[in-house]
Amino acid sequence: MNSGYSPKIIGFLCNWCSYAGADMAGTSRMSYEPNIRIIRVPCSGRVDPILLLKCFQQGADGVLVSGCHPGDCHYNEGNYHARRKFALLRDFLDYLGIGKERLRVEWCSASEGQRFVDKVSSFTKEMAELGPRSES
Amino acid sequence: MDSELIQQIRNQARDLLESGTVKGVIGYERASDGLTARPAFVYELAAVERLIFDETCTHNLVIYLRDKKAEKMAIVVKPCDSRAINLLLNEKQIKRETLFIIGVTCPGVVETSWNYKGQTLQARCQTCQLSKPLVYDFLVGHEPVEWPKAVPYLNVQEMENKSIAARRDFWLGQFERCIRCYACRQVCPGCYCPECFVEQLDPLWVGIRIAPKENELWQIMRAFHLAGRCIGCDECERVCPVDIPLSLLNQKLEKKVKELFDFQAGLSPEEQPPLATFKKEEKLGFEE
Amino acid sequence: MRWLDQLLQERILLAPVRVEGLILFQPVSKVEEVALDFGNTTFSPKEWFLPPTETLFSMQRNDGQPQLVPSMVEKDVVIFGLRSCDAKGIALMDGPFLREPADTLYQERRTRTSLIGLSCRQAQPECFCTSVGSAPNDSSHVDILLTEIEDGYIVQVITDKGKALLPQALVESEEALPPPPELQAVPTKQVTQAVREFFNNPYWGRLADRCLHCNICAYVCPTCYCFDVRDYSNKGSLERVRSWDSCQSAGFTRIAGGYERRATKGARLRQRFSHKLLYFPEEFHDIACVGCGRCVKSCPVNIDIREVMSDLEQLEAKSGS
Repeated sequence: MNSGYSPKIIGFLCNWCSYAGADMAGTSRMSYEPNIRIIRVPCSGRVDPILLLKCFQQGADGVLVSGCHPGDCHYNEGNYHARRKFALLRDFLDYLGIGKERLRVEWCSASEGQRFVDKVSSFTKEMAELGPRSES
Repeated sequence: MDSELIQQIRNQARDLLESGTVKGVIGYERASDGLTARPAFVYELAAVERLIFDETCTHNLVIYLRDKKAEKMAIVVKPCDSRAINLLLNEKQIKRETLFIIGVTCPGVVETSWNYKGQTLQARCQTCQLSKPLVYDFLVGHEPVEWPKAVPYLNVQEMENKSIAARRDFWLGQFERCIRCYACRQVCPGCYCPECFVEQLDPLWVGIRIAPKENELWQIMRAFHLAGRCIGCDECERVCPVDIPLSLLNQKLEKKVKELFDFQAGLSPEEQPPLATFKKEEKLGFEE
Repeated sequence: MRWLDQLLQERILLAPVRVEGLILFQPVSKVEEVALDFGNTTFSPKEWFLPPTETLFSMQRNDGQPQLVPSMVEKDVVIFGLRSCDAKGIALMDGPFLREPADTLYQERRTRTSLIGLSCRQAQPECFCTSVGSAPNDSSHVDILLTEIEDGYIVQVITDKGKALLPQALVESEEALPPPPELQAVPTKQVTQAVREFFNNPYWGRLADRCLHCNICAYVCPTCYCFDVRDYSNKGSLERVRSWDSCQSAGFTRIAGGYERRATKGARLRQRFSHKLLYFPEEFHDIACVGCGRCVKSCPVNIDIREVMSDLEQLEAKSGS
């Protein structure tokens, strides 16, 4: 991290895959940057864009949404809807001056502890590089 | 004013009222400034003479159909308004049998406000692809004249080309002026939730504070709730008392929806809105 | 206008400023920012006495003890460039806000604010102040009234508060005040009686057919003052917030259980006119309309209060009263 800036990252992880994957990373004693604060949701499709906006408004530098791999959603189609929603939202946030890099969408299954760690790590580094949002 | 067109509308209205086919006719009449138009509701034969149609008839009358669900009403509809009818039919908010649609081959409307009539066509008319309404029971007006249409989304592209900091400053400045009058929502055919998210108390998404952060949530989320549904009448922009360029927001989403899903709202009464459906194998930039 | 720079020293100066296509009252830091050639501002100056949002008080915990922190008004304020209709609007709002028990925030703002009015040399097409007890050059409710003439301004000092604002060197003038512009007349004599009598008339439902039930008319109006109050709490601290609201919005009369007294469009639209033309006069002896015409100008569907007053008078005339 440069000059002591430590980005605040909020992560919305779906209960069945991604959150379990994060748990697996924990139980396997894998270490990763502590910047992410995790919020457990039933499904990535449950994540309402207004939740992400509020995160940014309340000081988040980056937001990660992680769900089951497309095709493996515990509720069959939640992540398909999430995929469409966030494709639009990411582009829209960029248009509004909140950089598109600040919203990251990943698919991570319950057995992919290492993948979770890799994704969070790379996202945190990217946010540190990007710097704080201008108005925070 | 096109007096032949107006006569056709009045004759239709008269026939429909006389025969008892409809309870009332929703159209346009002259406003109190003697210059522009305003929505008119005609229930009696004597009032039919109030109906007009000219280049000041900017209002999207389809919003009034949502209040009149029980009765059969006639409505004067421009091509853009007909997209709103398709949207509401598709979303099961109105029933086709309760409507008698008087379609108008509209040559475009100009910018109007109280006591002011602009000289050039509104931006949405300049990029309009429709020469006559997509749905109607009776068509009035002349054979549509093709005029060269402007390239759409130029102002959106101009915004996209600005730096991210410039965009942020621009939008923060715009949202600051919002006073949460909700005229944009009230005039929009796509905004019909009995309880809007902004009025929900539990969970409290936005709250009553009229302040930049709350305004930002309101503006962004309303635009997003219309993604893939906005039919581009731009009435929201016209009614905003503090001149927020709402079409710049809605058209951005319209452009992205077209790009990603090859879809535009309101072109048919039976369609699959992009956010209500999905394709299993599509790639939207989140896979590696 | 250099005099205004002096006023800026220890006060906040609010003046009409051009902001994109609008004219808004805003704090200015130099005289050059002030717009002097305008009809009227988009919003009335009521927003400085009853802001769109304000914190009534907040509560914090210190060592577990709750502590009430009332809101404070920071500095003295001078509002420059308000029209006589708007000054009357403020005077009308004094009725409900200053009678006992007074609204303390409004009261403090009112006490600490001086009003410098600007006479209208021209009327706008939507103006009708003379029909509702005001005039383009009415000095009744300001501390100083300026009237523009060819080479400057005639300054009328109305109150001691106004006198305190002025620098020493002002030339005494014998110059006559120019005549005010002519305005259309709107019939208002029978309007209060008519609203009372025709409360159940289908006129209101018909008028409301095109009403959008947004909040624009109430928000631009100098005398509309409905508000909503809500407490916001966060980790042991609490803030009580007051924000503008409007009787027009659906749900304004919704109570626990879901019942709405004014569920229909006609009932809600009738309420706005009833309040302004009947209930307010019954209590405060004046129609709560100053003829500024902002609602006429801003209503997206042209609900015109002058037309409503005229319609009501006609109903009254027809009924033979």
